[in-house]
Amino acid sequence: MQTAIIRQRARQELRGVVYATLLVAATTLVIFGIIEWVGLTRGSVVYLVPVVIAAVRWGQIPALVAAALGVVAAAFFFYPPAYSFEINDPEEVLNLILYVFCAIVVGQLASRLKYQYELSRQREIDLADLYAFSRRLAVAFDVSGIHAAIEDHLATVMQRRVLLFASGHDAGERRGAGAAPDAVLQKVSEFSASRSETAAETAVSGGNGELWLVRAVSPKNPDYGVIAINLGRASKEGYAALRSRLDTVLADATATLERLGVAHAISEARMRAQTDRLREALIGSVSHELRTPLASILGAATVLAAAPALQNDARLKDLAQGMRDEAERLNNDIQNLLDATRISSDGVKPHIEWADPADILHAAVDRCRRRLAQRSLALDLPQDLPLIRVDPILVQQALVQVLDNAVKYSPSGSEIAVKVRAQDGKMTFTVSDKGAGLTQAEQARMWDRFVRGERHVGTTSGSGLGLWIASAFVAANGGSIAAHSAGPGRGATISIDLPVTQAAVPQLESEADE
Amino acid sequence: MSEPTPVVLVVDDEVQIRRFLRTGFELNGFSVQEASTGTEAIRTSTLRPIDLVIVDLGLPDMDGAEVVERIRSWSTVPIIVLSVRSSEAEKVHLLELGADDYVVKPFGMAELLARVRVALRRQSRAASGEPAVKVGPLTIDLAARAVTLNGTRLTLTPKEYRLLQVLAQHAGNVVTHQHLLKEVWGSIHVHDTHYLRIFVRKLRQKIEPNPDSPRILITELGVGYRLAQPGEIESGAWASEAEPAKPSA
Repeated sequence: MQTAIIRQRARQELRGVVYATLLVAATTLVIFGIIEWVGLTRGSVVYLVPVVIAAVRWGQIPALVAAALGVVAAAFFFYPPAYSFEINDPEEVLNLILYVFCAIVVGQLASRLKYQYELSRQREIDLADLYAFSRRLAVAFDVSGIHAAIEDHLATVMQRRVLLFASGHDAGERRGAGAAPDAVLQKVSEFSASRSETAAETAVSGGNGELWLVRAVSPKNPDYGVIAINLGRASKEGYAALRSRLDTVLADATATLERLGVAHAISEARMRAQTDRLREALIGSVSHELRTPLASILGAATVLAAAPALQNDARLKDLAQGMRDEAERLNNDIQNLLDATRISSDGVKPHIEWADPADILHAAVDRCRRRLAQRSLALDLPQDLPLIRVDPILVQQALVQVLDNAVKYSPSGSEIAVKVRAQDGKMTFTVSDKGAGLTQAEQARMWDRFVRGERHVGTTSGSGLGLWIASAFVAANGGSIAAHSAGPGRGATISIDLPVTQAAVPQLESEADE
Repeated sequence: MSEPTPVVLVVDDEVQIRRFLRTGFELNGFSVQEASTGTEAIRTSTLRPIDLVIVDLGLPDMDGAEVVERIRSWSTVPIIVLSVRSSEAEKVHLLELGADDYVVKPFGMAELLARVRVALRRQSRAASGEPAVKVGPLTIDLAARAVTLNGTRLTLTPKEYRLLQVLAQHAGNVVTHQHLLKEVWGSIHVHDTHYLRIFVRKLRQKIEPNPDSPRILITELGVGYRLAQPGEIESGAWASEAEPAKPSA
């Protein structure tokens, strides 16, 4: 790899020298022209032009070549006697010496300018890399995310294949993936096992002549992991150069990691993963422990409510029905809590399919049938709505939450209007009630978790989760939810927008039915 | 129902659940056998005449799905699954293993009884070879391949008829999307749910008295479709308190 770079650089220099030579030749022709037309006697100063151009474009060596060729050409063509390298006039010799001096100084200045320009560009690229790296770190949610970011960063900076291993176990996993030769992975495992020792580094032959370097990212902080770098087929000198570069890059990287508080982030992510596991286990068991007795209570209440023995006593029947209603409410609350935890712990993963918006609405209304019994429901559902690609269950649950909310904050007997419209590439479900409405402050906060309208805390029950769940479920389907109200006491309208895929159902008519 | 007293096998490890189910069924003219483990359930179902099995999914010794699979391997007895896990994928899986229907815990007795009656009726219809399925004003004569609405014969395309036929063969029970797509369009189309959506719409235009609020061809969101239970429409079961509590998670 190293020799390849040298060869490439040599080729670049050679190209610069060739261009410089051509430039000098062109300049000579131009000077001939000038002498012919203008009658200028000496053209040596004009040879400064190719020198400057060569220095700026191709660097120092082509510039020196251009200067030397300029002297030779001037001496040969333009100083008497022409077409010989002899120069008669001592004044002319002085002239030429001055020219050489100027050419060298100008060439030096110009090539330094070029070097600094390149340096600042490189710095700009480095900065951009670093910025991208820190941004990735900021959004990395878990340890593996952080490690992936470090790995990519090192790969970019080193311009080599870099593998980062968080642990020996990690190396074992990657073995299957064939990420690196087995000998290298073996070494990585050993390195991870002997974390505490500050084993510096080892070179491992990865077979097929490639050399891998294995070392801890930071000798001080084992959390940063172990890296393996493919050095390729380097010569001895090239290998030494690469290693010193690696030292610098790693020192830089560790400093960056330290500055960005990566160690802290890693341990925090570990802790978060543990808490998540604990929470999931807790919720799983709470869900089971609460819902099993609830199922017995609800079932028993429905058996009681329908039992012949109770049919003659309205008071007892009422009691049984009350039991059933309360058990159902409790079940809904538990379900909301479970949904809320699911949303915040691992996000909602929708199962997208083609669905009929009318089906979704009917299912939601059906689900709320009993709750809606005390309201007059006005359904406005046009025929031939386009199909939508959503998770119908999630959308239905969002609608149930919105309907439930409308029932909660509107008086018994009032109208709840549900409307579905397809326009502007969107499918819009709107639910309007004639109830308590919303104040400005309520509109601002109503989508937050556990937020309940302060005007209603004393009079209506609820957890403040419903609309938050609805908005999360709608968002998971690529939609949005919004509320409008003319003010307190003037009803509220909640609308759910879902995307309508324009690439609709393909050639169904022709092929699907014979 | 003409049989003397149908026997229901209740498989659940929770005593309280078995208790209310026993009372609920006995009050409605069923007789009840109980099992608290999968092994016991499989043994009982081989030893005694059972008309219907109700299986809880969370059994201590084996997964309820396994119980369904083992019983189904030698018996056509209707099986209804009780589940707290209410993911739609799980329901589809159980239906494909051979369960006839599912009820999500917690549930009301009326809802379970309705499902049980559908399953039993379907079983007796299969036994008697009764060719016609009646759902409210709609009659599907599977032998004559004729569909009539309020006595008027309907013209259906072959695919529409096939769809209705598959649903009628399972009248009252849910038929999964995959099953319908496979039966009507062939196995390469099992994921083309939009075919179903469009054809169900067309079919509803023809068979539903009021297509805007379907009462005969019912959507089970995320799972499949179901033809209403024969007799469900006249009996006014719509307004009954069969609302399941919130099902899916």
